[in-house]
Amino acid sequence: MDELEFRRRVYANPDTTDRDVVEAAKSDPAKQAFWQELKAQDSALLDVMRVPVPEDMAHKLIWQQSANEFVRHRKRSRWYIAMAASVAFAVGISFTLFNRAEVSLGNEALVHMQYASAEQSHSGLPVDLTQVNAKLAGFGASLTDMLGNVKVANYCHLSNVRSLHLIIETDQGLMSVFVVPQRDDVLLPEAFSNDTYHGEAVKMQRANILVVGDKDADLHPVMQEVKRKIQFSA
Amino acid sequence: MKEKQQRYEALVHAFHADIYRYAYWLVKDKSIAEDIVQETFLRAWRSLDALKEQQAAKSWLITIVRRENARRFERKQLETVDIDDVSVIDDTAHSDSATEQRDLHRLLGGLSEEYREPLILQLLFGFSGEEIAEQLNLNKNTVMTRLFRARNQLRDAIQRQENQRGRHNG
Repeated sequence: MDELEFRRRVYANPDTTDRDVVEAAKSDPAKQAFWQELKAQDSALLDVMRVPVPEDMAHKLIWQQSANEFVRHRKRSRWYIAMAASVAFAVGISFTLFNRAEVSLGNEALVHMQYASAEQSHSGLPVDLTQVNAKLAGFGASLTDMLGNVKVANYCHLSNVRSLHLIIETDQGLMSVFVVPQRDDVLLPEAFSNDTYHGEAVKMQRANILVVGDKDADLHPVMQEVKRKIQFSA
Repeated sequence: MKEKQQRYEALVHAFHADIYRYAYWLVKDKSIAEDIVQETFLRAWRSLDALKEQQAAKSWLITIVRRENARRFERKQLETVDIDDVSVIDDTAHSDSATEQRDLHRLLGGLSEEYREPLILQLLFGFSGEEIAEQLNLNKNTVMTRLFRARNQLRDAIQRQENQRGRHNG
């Protein structure tokens, strides 16, 4: 092995145990001396490389990791709380909306009855079939024949739906018939009541019919009459 | 979780010192090196499950240190100050060996990074030529050449310095 190759090899790795390098040094004291010098330089270098490590670094690293984990955990909990709050909020909102929808039409009709009684008193003139049909036309409906004695025919709003309110005089007292256009967003209970009135509802082709009377009135005959006499245009 | 914690602590104890030194010789600044080591071990914690062998852990940690350093360098390229330029020279009396050590420290810091890095991997971490090549993504011949030049330059510099000092004293 020539001098240059020997130096190259030893420079690249003074700790080499390659046989040819070792052999080359054995027979040449100059090479041995050079090799020893480089080993000494390496050991001095290693001393220098081993700079003092900041005190307590290991503990700091371990502590830092725990703290970080703690914060992450807390963030996660905060996220859970936010999630739970959102769910609660959504449930609250939908519960309110759902409830409102569910009570709507029947309840609105009952509420409307309160001032229907005031309404009827100031209309002295009976209403005829033409007048009723003119108002029903807006719903695509008409009556083939008059419903008993219609005292009042007025538009009103039930759950923000424009409806027709007929007040009829029957042998069981005054009753109300509501004609309400079909809407997807309102629920229609089949029967409903409060302390004073009760009512029933049916779904017909293009409108819901609600009949409301006094607490103990039999609504059936009026409902049948309406069903029989009302017609919807195609 | 408890087992993971124990593995993490073992990793910290086994490697933090040399990883800190490695970072120090990359950036030549104690507090930046410390930051890099902290970030490195935080990342190590997150990926601890993927780490199986010791040797793999070592080279993996080194990879993170280098990546963190590169990231920091990109971020703060305009703000960095080479610590060698501002290092304070201590003029109080020193034994010869302390002076030599200080000189060597300065010389090592003055080597270009492409020479210093393989040297540190070889000496501090006991990496073979192949391992250094793999770690630094170089071929082995390049690594051996750089190791050769690194030691060669250091030796020349030391000899130059000794000659100067000899003249000075004589």
